Amino acid sequence: MLECAELYFNVDHGYLEGLVRGCKAGLLTKQDYINLVQCETLEDLKIHLQTTDYGNFLANQTNPLTVSKIDTEMRKKLCREFEYFRNHSLEPLSTFFTYMTCNYMIDNVILLMNGALQKKSVKEIMSKCHPLGRFTEMEAVNIAETPSDLFNAILVETPLAPFFHDCMSENTLDELNIELLRNKLYKSYLEAFYKFCKNHGDVTAEIMCPILEFEADRRAFIITLNSFGTELSKDDRETLYPRCGKLYPEGLRLLAQAEDFEQMKRVAEHYGEYKPLFEAVGDRNGGKTLEDVFYEHEVQMNVLAFNRQFHYGVFYAYTKLKEQEMRNIVWIAECISQRHRTKINSYIPIL
Amino acid sequence: MGSLFRSEPMCLAQLFLQSGTAYECLSALGEKGLVQFRDLNQNVSSFQRKFVGEVKRCEELERILAYLVQEINRADIPLPEGETSPPAPPLKQVLEMQEQLQKLEVELREVTKNKEKLRKNLLELIEYTHMLRVTKTFVKRNVEFEPTYEEFPPLERESLLDYNSMQRLGAKLGFVSGLIQQGKVEAFEKMLWRVCKGYTIVTYAELDEPLEDPETGEVIKWYVFLISFWGEQIGHKVKKICDCYHCHVYPYPNTAEERREIQEGLNTRIQDLYTVLHKTEDYLRQVLCKAAESVYSRVIQVKKMKAIYHMLNMCSFDVTNKCLIAEVWCPEADLHNLRRALEDGSIMRMFFNGRYILLLMGLFSVYTGLIYNDCFSKSVNLFGSGWNVSAMYSSSHSLGEQKEMVLWNDSVVRHNKVLQLDPSIPGVFQGPYPLGIDPIWNLATNRLTFLNSFKMKMSVILGIIHMTFGVVLGIFNHLHFRKKFNIYLVSIPELLFMLCIFGYLIFMIIYKWLVFSAETSRVAPSILIEFINMFLFPASETKGLYTGQEHVQRLLLVITALSVPVLFLGKPLFLWWLHNGRSCFGVSRSGYTLIRKDSEEEVSLLGSQDIEEGNRQMDDGCREMTCEEFNFGEILMTQAIHSIEYCLGCISNTASYLRLWALSLAHAQLSDVLWAMLMRVGLRVDTTYGVLLLLPVIALFAVLTIFILLIMEGLSAFLHAIRLHWVEFQNKFYVGAGTKFVPFSFSLLASKFSNDDLA
Repeated sequence: MLECAELYFNVDHGYLEGLVRGCKAGLLTKQDYINLVQCETLEDLKIHLQTTDYGNFLANQTNPLTVSKIDTEMRKKLCREFEYFRNHSLEPLSTFFTYMTCNYMIDNVILLMNGALQKKSVKEIMSKCHPLGRFTEMEAVNIAETPSDLFNAILVETPLAPFFHDCMSENTLDELNIELLRNKLYKSYLEAFYKFCKNHGDVTAEIMCPILEFEADRRAFIITLNSFGTELSKDDRETLYPRCGKLYPEGLRLLAQAEDFEQMKRVAEHYGEYKPLFEAVGDRNGGKTLEDVFYEHEVQMNVLAFNRQFHYGVFYAYTKLKEQEMRNIVWIAECISQRHRTKINSYIPIL
Repeated sequence: MGSLFRSEPMCLAQLFLQSGTAYECLSALGEKGLVQFRDLNQNVSSFQRKFVGEVKRCEELERILAYLVQEINRADIPLPEGETSPPAPPLKQVLEMQEQLQKLEVELREVTKNKEKLRKNLLELIEYTHMLRVTKTFVKRNVEFEPTYEEFPPLERESLLDYNSMQRLGAKLGFVSGLIQQGKVEAFEKMLWRVCKGYTIVTYAELDEPLEDPETGEVIKWYVFLISFWGEQIGHKVKKICDCYHCHVYPYPNTAEERREIQEGLNTRIQDLYTVLHKTEDYLRQVLCKAAESVYSRVIQVKKMKAIYHMLNMCSFDVTNKCLIAEVWCPEADLHNLRRALEDGSIMRMFFNGRYILLLMGLFSVYTGLIYNDCFSKSVNLFGSGWNVSAMYSSSHSLGEQKEMVLWNDSVVRHNKVLQLDPSIPGVFQGPYPLGIDPIWNLATNRLTFLNSFKMKMSVILGIIHMTFGVVLGIFNHLHFRKKFNIYLVSIPELLFMLCIFGYLIFMIIYKWLVFSAETSRVAPSILIEFINMFLFPASETKGLYTGQEHVQRLLLVITALSVPVLFLGKPLFLWWLHNGRSCFGVSRSGYTLIRKDSEEEVSLLGSQDIEEGNRQMDDGCREMTCEEFNFGEILMTQAIHSIEYCLGCISNTASYLRLWALSLAHAQLSDVLWAMLMRVGLRVDTTYGVLLLLPVIALFAVLTIFILLIMEGLSAFLHAIRLHWVEFQNKFYVGAGTKFVPFSFSLLASKFSNDDLA
């Protein structure tokens, strides 16, 4: 592709970029969070949110207000915005949007299969699925008994199909296998998305590649952390790491050998980006968790994505920032409703 | 009228409202829209304010009203939109209103729920009957033709729908039948095939009439399908797939009798449901119609009420809690109105109509008609022309004179197409015409050349005077805002720049008019060339207008050249010096506190702080930086942009004033065309029937004159005049700065109630 997005980007995507930047301006500010934290009840929270870009999104909710109602309405709002972007997008931006939704689709499929394993009703789980990752075939997921079944019968015509190439197996889907399936799917998804952005080139590649590299490495770290003390073998573990991050190939090999958090930290210390992150992690008595540190770093990268123009990264960044904001609001709302105020300040401010 | 030239002087007033009557007072103020409230509780977040409970109650009412409007719209009952806007409800009525609305909502929800249930039930039954009807044809067709499913072994095909024979074979034949949305059929079939590996037979047919979806209420096309399968396992899968595609599955009757029984049962139930549903809908409609009568005024009332409480939230309580203190911005001129509004009063409105402007325009065009001596492109010889043609003939002069001058005789007149009167011959030019242009010019062939040059000069002279006036007005601005340095560093260089170039041009024009007479006109230098030479310093000496012209022009050029850097750098450097030299000055200001004083400057400072405080809420913390920091670069950039705009503008704006000439020319030519093409043609017909022709011609002439010459040309003259004022004149001094006054007024509330607004 021609390497000068300035010349042609706005022809197809200028409107949407303008729109997404406007939406980004509506994200909650530090002052908003300070006010939200002072709320005594969820009603107060609702009143303050009304003064922000959320507007009267809760106006039609009958009392009493609950955290899950707030969460659903916020998700609906994000979903409406995303659908609008998607419906007005042209190629290759629409493919980019499809890649963005794959993330949620994978989560939904896994959620449904776990639900089927625990014999929960499909309807109950459907309400928990992320609306961005909804697709028609989704509800039939629990018919499948093996991963190849899942692929052949149900997902072959969905955007998820290409990610199945290295997880076709005849193992029955128990809890461990579902988790493995999730990680493998996610791995090939990330690699494919990375390749798409890389091939697209230009500013999009410059912005998106670092974000996806970080995402891949974060997954590698989290997989390693979660596999301590489980029956997952080191070789199996290595097959789950997405191979498009900065850790590939040396870091991943070292990570596969790590046996505790300290060893993992030592691996991270070889990398300039991750060393400060691991240093920021507090010990058990308090301080930030590794997840929070990763989230903060992600937010930072996403905010910076808005400094460049003419690329698709803003859409990705906006969605992620909005999700973070929703997590923050839900966290604050939970703290308020459970009267557990001591930890209310550990949200991750965005602007 | 003062407000036309300057921002309206505002005053900050403190209102002490008794807590009992505060609501009524604000209601009266809101109707008038006189004042803008200051938020006195900025540090209090929105949910900690005094009247948050009342605001919540308003929101609850709004929610109910939104629900009502939604239901009313759904029932297609027209919403009466009253033109009057009802006042905010008195507090006593609010509780009553709330109770009424809540009762109404409960009732409505109940009825609607019942109705929905009934309707859904009915739709399902209708779907079922359709399904039964269509699947019957499937069976028949399969039996009659035995076709289409080649992939099945022949044994099974023969007894495809013979349940008993299948049982004999040991496999259990099952049926699932139902309805599916049109768009999903293909994917549904594919998935069935993939999952069940072909152990199913799907038959489907499109339903001829679109049905309403019981879940969403959408009217869409449906397909009826019948799946036959073997085995329990596959049956489960088929059912799951049906769930996944949101098919409406209904039990499939195995025998013909069963089918008939079900069908009959369905028919009676559908009949029953229809009657019940009808009655429910009637009742619902009655309730909604009653609600629709008052819903519009209720929506407005609740909006007003909410607005009042929002404003009350901005007030602070005094120590004793008996009084609300509000701080408001109010135009000084409206203070007495404000007092009266609080005591109940009314305002007289001033009307200013455009008709006087039209009258003035008309008078002025009559005047210019006289000056140009042009009435419908005909000149009027009021005072007798100052030119005498007969004096050009040789017979009227003595012999001695005849030798010196070029005179006319019969042969000259006969053989020349164009002859020129020579004003230097005695007797030919007897002095100027007393008012405007001499009528003789209307006969001359070089009339346009003469008038164009005249009009062009006039345009430039008027334009430069206009613009200079604009710059001078700027001086008044600087005096008003007490920025004397701006006069020396901006206005005076601007004036010098303008006058040294274009003022001098005017001087040359007038000088030439006055100094050169008819006799010397042949040696008069061209102003154009002189003006160009002023900048080019040509080697060859021209004769010039007057002696010493060269030195004067050099001096003017030097002044012009010097004024440009002063214009560019003067103000920024001065401000910089001021900032560095008197840094303590700024500190004394920063310790400013909110103390009310009457002086204008203090009030304006207050206003600016108000705005900053508003900003702080949005991008917190930045205020300290922008408020006190002296940004030299920014000032320099602004001044540079202004200077460039001004210097280039002097040239382009002067040229822009030539539109006066162009418009005058266009107008004269158009009226000429109208005269020559219509009236002259009409008048030339000199038979007795000429009168008959003349009548429609005059009518046409009158119509065209009114529409083209008066209305169209009048409009264009008006527009161009406005443009000259706006662009060329006002950019010399007009800033249009100030703070927008946003009064608390009910009329600014969205008065229309659409669904978006409420939902």
